[in-house]
Amino acid sequence: MTDAAASGGPDPLAAIARRLPLPLRFALRELRGGLRGFYVFIGCIALGVAAIASVGSVSRSLVNGISEEGQAILGGDLTFSVIHRQLEADQLTYLDSLGRVSEIATLRAMARTPDSGAQTLIELKAVDGAYPLFGTFEIEGDGEAAGGDLHDLISATGEKPGLVADAGLAERLGIEVGDAVSIGNAEFVLNGLIAREPDRLGSGLGWGPRVVISTEALEATGLVQPGSLVRWRYRVALPEPASESDVAAAKTQTQEKYPDAGWRIRDRSNAAPGLRDQIYRFTMFLTLVGLTALVVGGVGVANAVSAYLDGRRGTIATLKSLGAGGGMIFRSYLAEILLLALAAILIGLIVGALTPWLAGSALASVLPVADAVPGVYPAKLLQALAYGVLIALAFALWPLGRAREVPATALYREHVAAVRARPRFVYIAALAAILLALIGLTVGLAYEPFMAALFVGGTVAAFVVLRLVGVGIMALARRIPHSRWLEWRLAVAAIHRPGAVTPSVVLSLGLGLTLLVTIALIDGNLTRQLTVALPDRAPSFFFLDIPRGDAEAFRETVSATVPDGRVEEVPMLRGRFVSLKGIPVADYPAPPEAGWVLRGDRGITYSETPPENGRIVAGEWWPSDYDGPPLVSFADEIAGELGLAIGDEVEVNVLGRPITAKIANLRTVDWTSLSINFVMVFSPNTFAGAPHMVLATVTMPEGARSDSELAVMREVTRAFPTVTSVRVKEALDTINSLVRRLAWAVRAASGLTIAAGILVLAGALAASHRHRIHDAVVLKTLGATRRRLIGAYVLEFALVGAVTAVFALAAGTIAAMIVIEQVMELDFAFLPLVAVGAVGGALVLTVGLGLAGTWRVLGRKPAAYLRDL
Amino acid sequence: MTDAAPSAVPALEVEGIRKIYRLGEVEIRALDDVSLQVAPGSFVAVMGPSGSGKSTLLHLMGLLDAPDAGVVRIRGTDTGGLDDDALTALRRDEIGFVFQTFELIPNLSARENALLPAEVAGRLEPAQARLATLGARLGIADRLDHRPAQLSGGQRQRVALARALVVEPAILFADEPTGNLDATTGEQIVDLMFSLHRERGTTLVMVTHDLALAERSGRVIAMRDGEIDGASVHHTQIAAQ
Repeated sequence: MTDAAASGGPDPLAAIARRLPLPLRFALRELRGGLRGFYVFIGCIALGVAAIASVGSVSRSLVNGISEEGQAILGGDLTFSVIHRQLEADQLTYLDSLGRVSEIATLRAMARTPDSGAQTLIELKAVDGAYPLFGTFEIEGDGEAAGGDLHDLISATGEKPGLVADAGLAERLGIEVGDAVSIGNAEFVLNGLIAREPDRLGSGLGWGPRVVISTEALEATGLVQPGSLVRWRYRVALPEPASESDVAAAKTQTQEKYPDAGWRIRDRSNAAPGLRDQIYRFTMFLTLVGLTALVVGGVGVANAVSAYLDGRRGTIATLKSLGAGGGMIFRSYLAEILLLALAAILIGLIVGALTPWLAGSALASVLPVADAVPGVYPAKLLQALAYGVLIALAFALWPLGRAREVPATALYREHVAAVRARPRFVYIAALAAILLALIGLTVGLAYEPFMAALFVGGTVAAFVVLRLVGVGIMALARRIPHSRWLEWRLAVAAIHRPGAVTPSVVLSLGLGLTLLVTIALIDGNLTRQLTVALPDRAPSFFFLDIPRGDAEAFRETVSATVPDGRVEEVPMLRGRFVSLKGIPVADYPAPPEAGWVLRGDRGITYSETPPENGRIVAGEWWPSDYDGPPLVSFADEIAGELGLAIGDEVEVNVLGRPITAKIANLRTVDWTSLSINFVMVFSPNTFAGAPHMVLATVTMPEGARSDSELAVMREVTRAFPTVTSVRVKEALDTINSLVRRLAWAVRAASGLTIAAGILVLAGALAASHRHRIHDAVVLKTLGATRRRLIGAYVLEFALVGAVTAVFALAAGTIAAMIVIEQVMELDFAFLPLVAVGAVGGALVLTVGLGLAGTWRVLGRKPAAYLRDL
Repeated sequence: MTDAAPSAVPALEVEGIRKIYRLGEVEIRALDDVSLQVAPGSFVAVMGPSGSGKSTLLHLMGLLDAPDAGVVRIRGTDTGGLDDDALTALRRDEIGFVFQTFELIPNLSARENALLPAEVAGRLEPAQARLATLGARLGIADRLDHRPAQLSGGQRQRVALARALVVEPAILFADEPTGNLDATTGEQIVDLMFSLHRERGTTLVMVTHDLALAERSGRVIAMRDGEIDGASVHHTQIAAQ
């Protein structure tokens, strides 16, 4: 707006300006002074809003992609899955009446080169001719098989059927397309490499490369035995166009017709519930971290607004002398601050809106929702905008309220006129309302409100404590005895002088550093668990699907290969909960932390005697020759969460048969031991005659080398080709790799908080330059050398930085300990390297930034500054 | 010490006012039992050494501050019982200020600065017409679209004067208006103030160290140590003090 326009000169803008309310008019005029002093303000808000908007937009993009590809991810409009068995004929006939049906089988197995020189665990999938009902299965292929049709490639080629697989199979076995691969008792030819599997996301976490064969070829492998861990899925494509209500109606109709079928039904609206839940959970966490960055940025907002309004004291006093009321002054500067905040928020929203496009290719390698078309997600942007506005208001309100009280006499008596230390009650009340709105928004919109509330509580506590630490440092500095060492005296005086940057430095640096230390310790402890603690306690191998009749031979084979190894075996079945205490599972009020137990299949076993690695805490174990109604031993922690007690009845469906058992006892289970643990152990008579396999663990003797482990795996696979071997070390490596990738995302988000902290720190230090320049000029005039002054500054920044780092270390350690021990129920270990890194980094940052601006000033001649004093 | 002047309803009256400032544990008695009346349309100069309380007196009379004791009346209205909003309104409608350091708002043009009191009062349009006349009279008509940084000291003070008069206040307070100006410019400013005071009948109260300036007033109030030092004197007796 030109001055002439704003003044009412002959300018089209003048007419518009005149119509604006006076506070807005005045705010726009004040902005003519430029943005000096507001760059940190804008940077902080833009950064925090961008983080929140980016996380929300990317998350929505992924979830939308999953929803839009629901049919392809699920493999149909509806999926019916059972374990250990295929559907009965009448059930199949019924499904055929609903629409097109595709039958597939998935299981874990071992693939090896025919000479058994190399072998690997695989995720095997056998498909029928109708697969896939939706989506496209794409082959990379090689040579003759380039881009070929799946069914052509997996049909018999000469004497041997074909298979296609992830490139990982070829890498692990050291083979190429065209080479032979043995699975179970059958030999295959690798005919192509998978480029895209449309229903991959719906399969969950895989422990090995995917291999696809035909259902006809599956039989030849000998892997399908009574009781073997094969999951059969029946995908149904309803006649098109099938609406959501059509799908829901078909699902309801099927449940009514077959209430005891024991199958798990999923529909396309919930194709990958586990994945979607994890996305929501991760999004929530990253949003909270982004919000922390915004809160840290709020400190920068408060500093910038305070510094700006301090510089406007003369103007405010003049306005008051001319008859402007405090309300008008408040509204004018509030309008100015809001205009700047909205500009910063707009920058953040633009970055956030663009992130799904920018991050698309990077995300595709992690989550192959290939058809997720990025879009603009107004709800997520609105959420980020709301946070930005609330944070800006929350941190600007206090200095604005104080500015309102600047008296007209401030024109004359800068220090004598008593200015209220606190704003009026109405502004404090408004601030409280804003904070409550902020907390309500954060907790109310969170996927897990309780976790969000914990996070908010922790942040507020850290904020409050950091303020106290800042005040405490200043109080301590005031009491330090006088020293003859000049640099020390100057440093200590600067720490507690009126207007010192100490509280701002402690707050901005401390909050970000606390978060970083917390995340680093959690990440470090999880990695430690996965790479050291768990491997120390866990068995070396799990062997699945050992036929009952081969159990003894299996034991002999292992003992012959590793005489000092320990072998444990248990019968293994899988079943689904049908009801608890007579209440169907669908209606049972299970808390979120125990909901996982009731979803999907559970491992089930039976035993005459109590498990060695458990302890009976309630009830009695059955006699070894018990022959009464079925009894079950339940894991006590889960029983508590589900509200189950001794004598309660649970109904499970195993192999298509409903089994009702009474809880006879409760026992402890240490899930972190990774040994054979079950939620339910039944009395042996329950499954008398039922076909099932044996699950075994093998624990290598201490000091055993990797080649001994490989030898066990080789011998077992050679002797029992249908047995699946899971090497725990490799499984933990897979999890560790996933955790590391997730940790990088979390570290990146927390890095934003550090970035915000650096901005705020830089702003706070820059704001104090005026005082430093003044002091430096006077001291130089009096004879202090530049070296001595720099020494004093280094000491000042190092002292404040060190105390802040120590606090952040303590607070971060406590927070990480709570998360690791209370939430994850693992053992916490303090990691010294993290400690050193945090302290060192904080010191370098504080001293570096502090000196950056001061160095230049110290080189100038005093006269130029003295003229202005 | 009381200083009285004959008047029907004084434009300005203070009675027994006291003002104490505290700096930590130190108490500064800026004014001690000061009373005076200022007749409407008169020109009163307030003089005294540094720390005598003359600026404090000006602040209290101009409702920029409140006394610790005593009464301040503006055109007969006792300001003691008024709340902050009422005081602000009274200041806006009845009083104009000219400061030694001009106190123009740097981001506003000269025109915007001058119109600010009227804008705050919601009476912009009539004030714009008045500014056109004032601007010509003050010799700043061609500088109104410039910012203060682009004006000389004298021009800035003229803009400040325009600002003080644009709402046609009953009383004009000037706190050492020539203190930051060279002698020639200062004299020009004072000439303008004096002319406008006489033309408009505005009561003018001026704090000054300048004897020549004080001589042009009708009455001089001498301050010392927070009290009125002796009775007010006419300009012919200033030299003897």
